[in-house]
Amino acid sequence: MAGPGAICVTVIVMAGMTLWLPGGRAGIDNLVLPLVLAPLIWAVLFFHACLDRSVGRVALIALALLLTHGGLLAHKWANWPSTAKEGGR
Amino acid sequence: MIHLPKNETKLMVAVHGWSGILLGLVLYAVVLTGTAAVFAEEIGIWSSGHMSSTSAFERPVGQNVQALGSQTPTKYHEGVDLFEVGDHDLGAFFHRHEIDPDGELVSRGIFYRVNSNGQVIDRQAGTSEEVFGPRNDDALSHFLVDTHVRLHLPNPWGLLLTGILGLAMLVAAVSGLMIHRHLFKDIFTLRRKANPVLFNRDRHSVAGTWSLPFAFILAFTGSFFSFFGTVGVPIVAMAAFGGDVQALNSSVFGNPGQADPRPAPTSGIDRITRDAIQRTGEIPTFVTIENFGRADAKVTTFHPPEKGGVLPISLLYDGADGRFEQVKPLIGTKPSAGGALAGIMSPLHFGNFAGILSKAVWFGLGFAMCYVTLTGLRLWVVRRANETRSLGWLDRMVTIVGLGLPFALLCTAVAFLCTTSSGSALFWTPAGFLMASALVIIGGAFIRDRIKLSILLECGMGILMLILPSLRLFMGGPGWVIAMKAGQPIIAAVDIALLIAGLWMLARHFPQRAPRSGELTLQAAE
Repeated sequence: MAGPGAICVTVIVMAGMTLWLPGGRAGIDNLVLPLVLAPLIWAVLFFHACLDRSVGRVALIALALLLTHGGLLAHKWANWPSTAKEGGR
Repeated sequence: MIHLPKNETKLMVAVHGWSGILLGLVLYAVVLTGTAAVFAEEIGIWSSGHMSSTSAFERPVGQNVQALGSQTPTKYHEGVDLFEVGDHDLGAFFHRHEIDPDGELVSRGIFYRVNSNGQVIDRQAGTSEEVFGPRNDDALSHFLVDTHVRLHLPNPWGLLLTGILGLAMLVAAVSGLMIHRHLFKDIFTLRRKANPVLFNRDRHSVAGTWSLPFAFILAFTGSFFSFFGTVGVPIVAMAAFGGDVQALNSSVFGNPGQADPRPAPTSGIDRITRDAIQRTGEIPTFVTIENFGRADAKVTTFHPPEKGGVLPISLLYDGADGRFEQVKPLIGTKPSAGGALAGIMSPLHFGNFAGILSKAVWFGLGFAMCYVTLTGLRLWVVRRANETRSLGWLDRMVTIVGLGLPFALLCTAVAFLCTTSSGSALFWTPAGFLMASALVIIGGAFIRDRIKLSILLECGMGILMLILPSLRLFMGGPGWVIAMKAGQPIIAAVDIALLIAGLWMLARHFPQRAPRSGELTLQAAE
């Protein structure tokens, strides 16, 4: 479960990160960093799920990440297209 | 040193073993072909006997590009990719971006190949996927790269599979690090005179420990490349641009500026390439033109890293007057953390940042990774040999894939060399691989003694390696003196490497010596 579960959370986190990460000098960090960091995010979530003795804590952290990033995405899409011109922010 | 509690260590040992055992053989295939693909360019030069050493971008190509532009429909002037193809011929792909019926963003247009005399020797219309496929003269190197990148599976499944393999390798590398109680001691511990159990485990451990950072880097960058276009870009585009991939590409890779659709010839290409070579000291590997033939045309030249650098360089020019505008980051218009991180992925994965030297190091470490994967698989099987006899098939499978794959790849090279002069290498290169694979699988099914099978395959590889240089010459390839005079020492270098490796493979078995205890038979490690 740890592998596929971590993939699901990573996908949502990657999408959500585009909305809260700063754009940086070139204004693209929020678009590029989630792509670059995705394998690392997956690995951290996977090893956390394997090594944390409390399954509840693993589930709680995964759920918190899912809800915060999923919420950000839902908010963005609910207000579409008024936020579309902001270049993903 | 990492000290995990006993239970967690046990869990990590299990994770390390299963991550390898579930995908180990496929991972081995990807790593082995990737190791060979480090030298894909050199293998291409060697196998096709390329004799030209002058880059297409050192020749005046501007007039050719202008002429091609005038015979290409204006709708394909949205973008032009210029790059080298074959024996330093110029490839020019005039294209536009459009959404195909599956809803995917594709580049569609017309691809031209121009030889060193300025003659168009090939013209194809289609998407980038269609026109950049393998050709008769690069079928071998293309086959290697395609096996490594997507295992010849259709998009996106091949890339997804290699991406998952990258994650499995990441897990194996990190868990391998965690289960070392004495990391620094393990790096130097090779008990040659110890019993075979310890000796074999030490060999796996030493090779694995030395290549741990490399395994981590390769796994990380490899899964990044595999997932980038298949999962990452669509998801980020969905989140940030409502699914508009083109808008994401323009934001990340584009050159913002005011649109000026007035016609203006993009005539300064030769001046631009000359200036770019002078500024960077490196010949461009790729040149892109946005809005060809318009007043707002932009030309970007891409170069290998400068001496001592790791990041590739790109320069931006005005397309209408050839004026230099700025040193441009590979991604974005200004230097940024995200752009630098993404830019470093390619040199870290391909090991091409310091020429042949870094490629040789990457090749060696890739070879170590293959060794670690195979010995790890065998250790896992042997460790469970007492528990169940049903793993015998896996043990034999490790030999069939472990030695059969390089054997089949060498047969592929033979098939390529035999058929390229007749123009049928596109068919026979993969066919040679499939036939050799079938031969190895059938042989593996009949020869039940794993040691005999290993000796047969190793001798077969040795003989093939010795045959290949002569076969290349026999089929009309250039000799060493001619190649050296033409400035292509790589042809002789590959020949010599094959001869040395072939002799070494055969010398291991002729004259046949009694196997050292434990040399061919691994035993339970723990």
